[in-house]
Amino acid sequence: MTQESAARRFVVAAIALAAAAAALVGLTLLAGASPIDALHALAEGSVGSRAALGETLARATALVLTAIAASLAFRAGVLNIGLEGQFLAGAVAAAAVGPLLSGAPFVARAGLLVASALAGALWVLPAAYLEARRGVPEVLSTILLNLIAAAAVSGLVRGALQDPRGDYPQSRALPDAVRLAPLVSGSRATAAIVAAIALALLVTLVVEATPLGLKLRATGLAPAAARAIGLPGARLRLLAFSASGALAGLAGGLEVLAVTGRLYDPFSAGAGYTGIAAALLGGSHPLAAAASAMLFAALGAGSSAMQRDTGVPGALATIVPGVLVLTVLAARARLTQKRA
Amino acid sequence: MSGFFAIALLLAAPLLLAATGELLLERAGSIQIGLEGTMLIGAFTAFAAARSGAGPHAALLAAACAGLLAGAAFAAFAVAGRADPILVGTAWNLVAAGGTAFSYRLLAGATGSVLEVKALPPFAFGLPAAALAAFFVPAVLEVFLTRTRPGLALVAAGDNPLALEATGGSVVAVRTAASVAAGALGALGGALLVLTVSPTFVEGVTAGRGFLALALVVFARWKPLRLVPGALLVGGATALQYRLQAGGGTGIPYAVFLALPGLLALFALAAARGRGGAPKALGTPAP
Amino acid sequence: MLPSLELRGISKRFGETQALSEVSLSILPGEIHALLGENGAGKSTLVSIAAGRLAADAGEILRNGSPVSFDRARDARDAGLALVPQHDLLIGAASVADNLAFLDPNAPFFESPAARRARVIRLAQRFALDLGDANARVDALPVGTRQRIEIAGALTGHPEVLILDEPTAVLSPDETAALFASLRKRADAGGAVVLITHRLAEVFAGADRLTLLARGRSVKTCRVSETTPEEIGGLLLAGAEGETREKEKDFDTHPSKHAARSAANQPLPSLELTGFAPHLASAVRTENVSLSLSPGELLVLLAIDGNGADTIARAIAGLERFSGRVEVGGVSLPPSGDPLAFRAAGGAFVPADRREEGLVASLSLEENLALPDPPGRVFLDRSAMRAHAGDLLASFGVRAASSTALAGSLSGGNQQKVVLARELSRSPRVLVAVHPTRGLDLASAAAVRRRILDVCRSGAAALVITADLDEAPLFGAPLRVVTRGRLSAPLQPTTPVETLGRLMAGLAA
Repeated sequence: MTQESAARRFVVAAIALAAAAAALVGLTLLAGASPIDALHALAEGSVGSRAALGETLARATALVLTAIAASLAFRAGVLNIGLEGQFLAGAVAAAAVGPLLSGAPFVARAGLLVASALAGALWVLPAAYLEARRGVPEVLSTILLNLIAAAAVSGLVRGALQDPRGDYPQSRALPDAVRLAPLVSGSRATAAIVAAIALALLVTLVVEATPLGLKLRATGLAPAAARAIGLPGARLRLLAFSASGALAGLAGGLEVLAVTGRLYDPFSAGAGYTGIAAALLGGSHPLAAAASAMLFAALGAGSSAMQRDTGVPGALATIVPGVLVLTVLAARARLTQKRA
Repeated sequence: MSGFFAIALLLAAPLLLAATGELLLERAGSIQIGLEGTMLIGAFTAFAAARSGAGPHAALLAAACAGLLAGAAFAAFAVAGRADPILVGTAWNLVAAGGTAFSYRLLAGATGSVLEVKALPPFAFGLPAAALAAFFVPAVLEVFLTRTRPGLALVAAGDNPLALEATGGSVVAVRTAASVAAGALGALGGALLVLTVSPTFVEGVTAGRGFLALALVVFARWKPLRLVPGALLVGGATALQYRLQAGGGTGIPYAVFLALPGLLALFALAAARGRGGAPKALGTPAP
Repeated sequence: MLPSLELRGISKRFGETQALSEVSLSILPGEIHALLGENGAGKSTLVSIAAGRLAADAGEILRNGSPVSFDRARDARDAGLALVPQHDLLIGAASVADNLAFLDPNAPFFESPAARRARVIRLAQRFALDLGDANARVDALPVGTRQRIEIAGALTGHPEVLILDEPTAVLSPDETAALFASLRKRADAGGAVVLITHRLAEVFAGADRLTLLARGRSVKTCRVSETTPEEIGGLLLAGAEGETREKEKDFDTHPSKHAARSAANQPLPSLELTGFAPHLASAVRTENVSLSLSPGELLVLLAIDGNGADTIARAIAGLERFSGRVEVGGVSLPPSGDPLAFRAAGGAFVPADRREEGLVASLSLEENLALPDPPGRVFLDRSAMRAHAGDLLASFGVRAASSTALAGSLSGGNQQKVVLARELSRSPRVLVAVHPTRGLDLASAAAVRRRILDVCRSGAAALVITADLDEAPLFGAPLRVVTRGRLSAPLQPTTPVETLGRLMAGLAA
């Protein structure tokens, strides 16, 4: 059984990688560039130098966190498609609280991140409430909360949170002392990526190796059985909702703290959606999802370099994850059907 | 005030087209939460066709054709392929957003200058014929669902797929056809945005309208005619937002107006008591 | 007389199971032919083949004496055969008028609501069926009306042979009588009717001939007037079991005697139902039930599926809403249905559907056995889980490669033992078990029964639902037969099987 599913996983991964490679080559050809040059630029721009690697790691922080947030929710059977909104809520909280915090940088950072996580968890609560009490599918409510969050960011950076110095639609910058400094000079990577990976390990442990994780998995895998066995399904779902929201909020807070230093509009380049793609690619296993997120981050960093060097549009970095996920979903469905 | 109503109608029309298509697909038992992506595909196709010399009506037609293909592709994964439609739809949005942005860059080059296209000519009340026609599409769907034989087969596919199979129908065929039609309507909705509201394409031009259309379907409790008031409400809210954006100075935070359509949709969802009226087999794989 | 429909030597295999082996059946014009047999005897498979829904592995089908072959359901319908299957054929969200248009193969492409309503009236008159209000939504109608709509739909194509798969399972006696009256009219007009049913009373009241299937073979075909319910009942039982079971001789440790003793010094009942009735729109309406089980007491509810016994059990376990009162160990359970409250009060539940509700198929055995309260303060105590699982698997005789095997990889009987092991390891105050031995071999079934008796001896009350006539007395406990949602008076385990069978089939005792 286990061997069979390992073989199956390998087949699925091979098919997906082939599809992604085909998409990459096809799109570069479409853009009139040489695939070899484009792939070279992609590799150089993602892992080719200390700066490139730093760029990848800087981008990876938010993606790893939203990917594990999605994995946690999916494992518990909660379809939280609203990570983008929770990410933005966390970023807003960081931008609102950050400039107010005084004292030691460590304390200020902790306060900022707690605020972000709380904001992310709060942002998912309406969806959890509507699902539990009024039967509103969380897929729809979380998506709408994404729209509302994006609108709120857009309004806030022109209103309550706007930097009084200057007319730009952006918030005040965090004090330099509070912002995270690069781990290595000449690189944008900060300790945030270490924190994200540590959290990925922690979530993996919680899901795979704690009593709570077992209950969450049972609820996600077989809701009817979990109910009959006597698991508190509603409470477990609420927990998965809010933990997932908190992780996505934390991603937004870390983005402000480590990468941007402030909030502006539009703030997110789709970290929430790409995180979901990473979770799906990783089969909702937090570590596999985190690895997929790193891959997508490298793709993002590399495609910027590729656009600069070869003129192939950087939107490639959004297409390829989508193609990968579609292929994986189709391949898994096909293989499951064959077995049945 | 007539200007305001015209804009409200103009903004409601794309939503209504997309939501009608989605309703059709959901009544057949599938669901495409990547409607936003399909609208983007339609918007870009119309833009690209118009840029390459097609008239606005030909551009609309091109978008509809692209939508048919998009609907067929979605059905290949989520209907015939029996992958979870929610997850397929999520990935679909990524591919469509990335794909249209990629193609737009190829078309526009790296200049970043705004490329205008010719808008649809006004027909009556300052609105183009296509936008006005959008208000009749839900009625057409209502007649189709309640008075025709294929309409009954479609309802059966969403309510009791086994019954459809038992009477010699094919759930996969019905849902695929619904997906193709829904793709065309969604793409037409996207095309209307580019050919009326702002005659140009920018990345993410649909600005969440696909998601609002999804919520409208729930708000309408899967009844086509009930889409019209919902679409007008959201269209009106958006028009109000534009007006205030231009006028400014109301004392109400600008963010509230930006968020108004989304908030309205969320309240509508809550008021609609969730799945009340949903097709019984919604989102389940074909037998 | 040439048969309207003749099936010759039909065989069909599903994987390891030989569903039908060389079954023959002939249906004459103008007759109502009853097809009888226990669950799994192959009745539904046979009619699905006759109606072109399934392809047979071997055998031939003749219509009016000439061979036919059906590639699709449509071919059978064109050849004058109509099947009303067991599962619902209607669009719940649509009206009666729309449903009959849906079921009419010759309905036009475009049809006004008025024309659709006219069809309802036409069909209701022609077939003398009460089809209800043409504009009513079908899912709001009683099951009897829905059944008639399906039959009217099947008749719109003017079939010569009408096949009904268990049409009366969910009907009230009045509705059943009305159905038979209209079927008789059809037969008198020269049509042929094939009727699958469990209920001997109906067969002897309304059918002309009968065919008895047992384990995929036809055992007997005869005119109804040439046999008796007792003979057919006996053949049904023999066919279902294939061999007579040795009854357990352990009547001395009769749990109810023990119960009588403990009830005297402990007046609080373990399980008490007062004016209780489950709410489940789609099932048989259950009449208000009041019963009380003392610690150590066991009650067996004996019922054919679809008579509401399993719904009673599910509602007690908190999986369905109910009206009235349920108390477990003196604690009143919320009528909205709350499995947690049932368990907190000391309840344990063995569901009928072990794959869907009993186990999490893609978790390991040790994980399943650790639910709902896995051990460990911070991390799962894997070694405790393994030891716990090892003990339970050994003591319940579960055959599995290891305790890390996935629950879904086990055979049905072993899965059932795992469910029982988990439920009994919690030392419940009340055990509710639905079909606890269904699908198990004789040795495993005996082991499961012994476990249930053991838990009663240690002071738990148990309510066991079974459809197995032969098994029910083996618990040595009082029995009550459930028919159409109504409970019989308590019966002694020594009640003759024939009497129980008559009660189950809806015949007077």
